[in-house]
Amino acid sequence: MLPLLKSHIPRRLGARPQLIPSFPHSYQSASFSSSVIKSASALEPHGRPSQSLTASGKVRKEVPLPSEEKKEGAMQYVLTTLDQVANWARQSSLWPMTFGLACCAVEMMHLSTPRYDQDRLGIIFRASPRQSDVMIVAGTLTNKMAPALRQVYDQMPDPRWVISMGSCANGGGYYHYSYSVVRGCDRIVPVDVYVPGCPPTSEALMYGIFQLQKKMRQTRITRMWYRR
Amino acid sequence: MSTILRTLRNLRRIGFKEYGHQMQLTRSCSHLGDTKAGTLIATDKYGNKYYENMEEELPLRTRWVDYKNPDFDPTQIEPGWHAWISYMIDAPPTADKILQTGIRKWELPEHRPNQTLSRAAYKPYSTVRPKVSAWTPVAAQR
Repeated sequence: MLPLLKSHIPRRLGARPQLIPSFPHSYQSASFSSSVIKSASALEPHGRPSQSLTASGKVRKEVPLPSEEKKEGAMQYVLTTLDQVANWARQSSLWPMTFGLACCAVEMMHLSTPRYDQDRLGIIFRASPRQSDVMIVAGTLTNKMAPALRQVYDQMPDPRWVISMGSCANGGGYYHYSYSVVRGCDRIVPVDVYVPGCPPTSEALMYGIFQLQKKMRQTRITRMWYRR
Repeated sequence: MSTILRTLRNLRRIGFKEYGHQMQLTRSCSHLGDTKAGTLIATDKYGNKYYENMEEELPLRTRWVDYKNPDFDPTQIEPGWHAWISYMIDAPPTADKILQTGIRKWELPEHRPNQTLSRAAYKPYSTVRPKVSAWTPVAAQR
């Protein structure tokens, strides 16, 4: 995509830097997450050789992670800024569809109580799937419940995410060998974040929500649309 | 609980630059959306700064961390400092007696934060022998 852009986009858009920042500069760096920053660079181990072989002896093929892509050309700057705005709006008001099925749901309720206080993060539980962005599957998903789960997921508007909470929802957990339990809700719906634990603490669920926000921050919405 | 007077008082103590920095941290809405003034306890080797104000803040809000990395994550806190910030120990880990034993043989020499969404992310793979045996068709020569 990048060489393509370099050839014809700057001429069309006029690659002057005045055109690009539709937002004040400090604003952009302050409150919006830039999806292009190298994440956790201070803490990741560095110095891995680039020409190393894989375990099976093939040459490593490195595809840049979404967090490692650099901005090149005017169009990239416009699109990444648009993405940052959209991602900021998305991650700051997550409305979860509560799919509480078992004891994990109690921990999910604790997240909304004053100690963890999800409202400060903009998270408000909705009773209707048509108003919600993220579904928190909390608890054992039985075979009988599976069609309902799928139907609720299908009723959610795009974009939508799924957090699988607890070992029962992750992979069956304690009831893995039961005749009536789905071995993981990822057999029914695509899952973004798995929160381990039996049940996970509210802090663990909150950490899972932060990971989901991190994933949202690196989503390339308009960039993928432009590429198409 | 934050009031206008408290915000102004803390703003006077910490100055506008630090105020802007603390408000900037609300970005991933997990941390300080608040104006806080406290004593800097220490900076760990990653550059995270740890603050404390035992007198004025509410219980469980008296210790906080100012992350070095803008894309921060609670796993970037080292174990000793994690014990301190979650009130398992009173003194900071540099002064605490229990944590003076150092790194034992079986411990990882350095702390690793959560590697999700990076190159070192955990990738599960199956070690179980597949239950389905694939059939490779063989066509006889004609």
